Amino acid sequence: MARKLQKEPRANDDRQICPHCGTRVPYDPAAAPSVATTGSTGQGGSEGDTATIQFHVTGMMGGHCEVNITKALMGTPGVQQAVVTSATENARIEYVPGAVSPQQLKRVIQDLGYGVAERAEGQEALDRERAARQRETRRQLINMAIAWPVGIVVMLGTFQPYWFLPSLIPQWLNDKVVLFLLTTPIVFGPGRQFFVNSWNGLKHGITDMNLLYATGIGAAYLIAVINTFWPEAGFGGREATFYEAAVLLTAFIVLGRYLEAVTMGRTSEAIRRLMKLQPRRARVMRDGQEVEIAAEEVQINDLLLVKPGESIPVDGLIQEGYSSVDQSMITGESMPVEKKAGDEVIGATLNKTGAFTFRATKVGKDTALAQIIKLVEEAQTRKAPIQKLADRVAGQFILGVHALALTVFLFWFFLGYGLWFTPESHLMLTPYTLAAMGVFGFALLTSVSVLIISCPCAVGMATPAAMMAGTGKAAEHGILFKGADAIEATSKLQFVVFDKTGTLTKGQPSVTDVVALGGAEEDVLRLAAIAEKNSEHPLGEAIVRGAQAQGLTLEDASGFNAIPGHGIEARVDGRWVLLGNRRLMALKGIPLAAALPEAERLETEGKTAMFVAADGQLLGMVAVADTLKDTSAQAVKALQGMGMKVAMITGDNQRTAAAIAAKLGIDRVLAEVLPEDKANELKKLQAEEYRVAMVGDGINDAPALAQANVGIAIGSGTDVAKETGHVILIKDDLMDVIAAIQVARRTMGLVKENLVWAFGYNTLAIPLGAGLLYPFFAQVVSPELAALLMAVSSLSVTLNTQRMRGFVPPVRRLRKGAGAPANDLAPVAGQ
Amino acid sequence: MKRPGLVSALIYTSVALVAAGAFLGVTLAGDYTWVARGGGTAWVFGLCMIVLMPIVTPLVSARVKARMVSEQGGNHG
Repeated sequence: MARKLQKEPRANDDRQICPHCGTRVPYDPAAAPSVATTGSTGQGGSEGDTATIQFHVTGMMGGHCEVNITKALMGTPGVQQAVVTSATENARIEYVPGAVSPQQLKRVIQDLGYGVAERAEGQEALDRERAARQRETRRQLINMAIAWPVGIVVMLGTFQPYWFLPSLIPQWLNDKVVLFLLTTPIVFGPGRQFFVNSWNGLKHGITDMNLLYATGIGAAYLIAVINTFWPEAGFGGREATFYEAAVLLTAFIVLGRYLEAVTMGRTSEAIRRLMKLQPRRARVMRDGQEVEIAAEEVQINDLLLVKPGESIPVDGLIQEGYSSVDQSMITGESMPVEKKAGDEVIGATLNKTGAFTFRATKVGKDTALAQIIKLVEEAQTRKAPIQKLADRVAGQFILGVHALALTVFLFWFFLGYGLWFTPESHLMLTPYTLAAMGVFGFALLTSVSVLIISCPCAVGMATPAAMMAGTGKAAEHGILFKGADAIEATSKLQFVVFDKTGTLTKGQPSVTDVVALGGAEEDVLRLAAIAEKNSEHPLGEAIVRGAQAQGLTLEDASGFNAIPGHGIEARVDGRWVLLGNRRLMALKGIPLAAALPEAERLETEGKTAMFVAADGQLLGMVAVADTLKDTSAQAVKALQGMGMKVAMITGDNQRTAAAIAAKLGIDRVLAEVLPEDKANELKKLQAEEYRVAMVGDGINDAPALAQANVGIAIGSGTDVAKETGHVILIKDDLMDVIAAIQVARRTMGLVKENLVWAFGYNTLAIPLGAGLLYPFFAQVVSPELAALLMAVSSLSVTLNTQRMRGFVPPVRRLRKGAGAPANDLAPVAGQ
Repeated sequence: MKRPGLVSALIYTSVALVAAGAFLGVTLAGDYTWVARGGGTAWVFGLCMIVLMPIVTPLVSARVKARMVSEQGGNHG
């Protein structure tokens, strides 16, 4: 709080500080766009209140632009936090209303040379983003269409006197003035953007990749012009005009820009594909009539009709009918799911076989699809720690490169040229000799080569492109990462802690065993169910459900009496029936000795045994337990096979918990843990240096989900759990925990590969550009070769990112192949 | 210090000029052509400006901001 007040001492003042002169000017709140206002401190008072606004920023080209805009925004008084993401063209700014206005924030971004508009939502945002992306792609395509043909002509003209070219190329094309006339429109046409952008940045004290491009192209062009019109100036004369370097450099950089635009456009397609799932029309029953309306006009509680082959317009509960529904687009399930009255249906899923009516429970922004789209959008605006590090390094890298270019220039000017220069030396892969090149021309050549060759444009897109591809791919499989940070954290997990009830188990007790001492099992269950018919206790409800499932007829009991902490007694068929624990039987004087060994066996298996007696005689027992989900054991086994530690956390007693853990193969059990202590148990594991995931579903899991390195909320869980979790599994299938880890690991692998392609190339190529090989081979890198290497780097990152498109988590491949839950998990375990 | 942009420009331009001047001074002691001296001096000046601008500008802006905050704190307190 103190720090906040220091930064914004008069946050609630109705005037704002001018960022340029520091004076206060009136602020008109009515002129501001709508923003979300939050109390950021939670300590009351308006002084610490902040608002958040999002802008749609155009013209960004990678991480450097993000760093530049973030720096400029953070340098503006009143700004608390700024997160800029070029991949989604988004700037999210937390600021103090009154200290700075949205208009001023827009101006800060505009002054840097970027386009800025208030962020639209939903389809409008997507359309705007797509239009901007298409404009940029088209612009760079036109630039390429101009630069490449002219570049090839200039190159052929430059090399006309060499090899076999004199017989093919007319001599006039080698005229330096003709080459000048061909090159100039390229440098100031397609290449103009780099000069304008770098100047806009420099005005604000910001260096970016454009500066590297501008200095590289500018220097090559300038040397060529000087050698054309003033050949005696000492830059190598007419034999060393680098027009083809200037023009090919422009062409290669424009190619890199085009690839970036295409890559980013493709990665944001994930959201667009989700949007397209939204059905346009809905059949609603109004006054008994079927009426077709727009899907967005559906209201909660409307009764809707869905026919075979139609998409389900909104979320709801089936009232009548039966069908199978293809939910693969939302949950990633490969097989259609059978649906009957009382079952939930999800909007945007496809009805396959039968017709049914359902009542709308969630519409508009509350539907599962709308929530998924929102989460994916938000996820793509958040940065992973590795991306922040890459951005920071890239920002410093550019500055370092200019310092290195200066050092290289001074070295070759004062020392290297005198020591090693020979007139026979030449540029790599060209027929040029550097015979007439003076000390300044040579030192400048190496300096410019360093600038061009070290351009880290591929670094800017290496991480965001992979992260966007990863979040999109995960969403296709029903796994929602709430941000790139969640992906990175998930990829590093070592320990997975499962909540028991509702996560490993179905969360709904059911009858597992009926033991009859002499009579029929059916009679024992029927009497118990009739006695419990009016009970609201979960165990009683389970017994009633169990009896109904067996088709038993349950009459009403004529008398009922609950004995708290013990059980119940009820009058059935003229007899008093007792149902309860040992204490109840002891209270009523019923001998238990004959049933005790069996009761203990059931309890050891994690079941709750209830004794049934009538007319003073023990009839038998009914055992109730929460049953395991189909995939729980497989998921645990697969995780263990991946080398991860697995634990179960529960409030149950040690014996029951140990029995369930044994069934699942879990060796670490955290039992008798109160809900409020779950987070503390996770803290203990984290103190053991484990990176821990908590998988849970309930409100009582929320603190533990928040405490975990990665909180994974499952689809059947509460909204609170989903809100708190870092990863949401849309389906109620624990195998998706494995799929989430596999997607995260693959994505991070892609990020690292991309960074190696981008940074590794720079690291290796800089010494070449600086002339390290020159003393040994008398060759230096030509500017156009440097540009080619740079473009290859961008191309490598682009192609590498595309590999994510065909990725299917191995666990999914396995299950799809089996057509059912996998039995053999060895291949998964190997992942 | 009400105009941080101007102050920054004065600082980095001065430092770049000193560096370029030093370069010219050293070349005067050696056997270089005037093209090499002039071109080299201009290149050194340009690169020095590029290196110094992003370092000096935020530093000066931060100082202005800090001073502004402390003045406002004084007015309040």
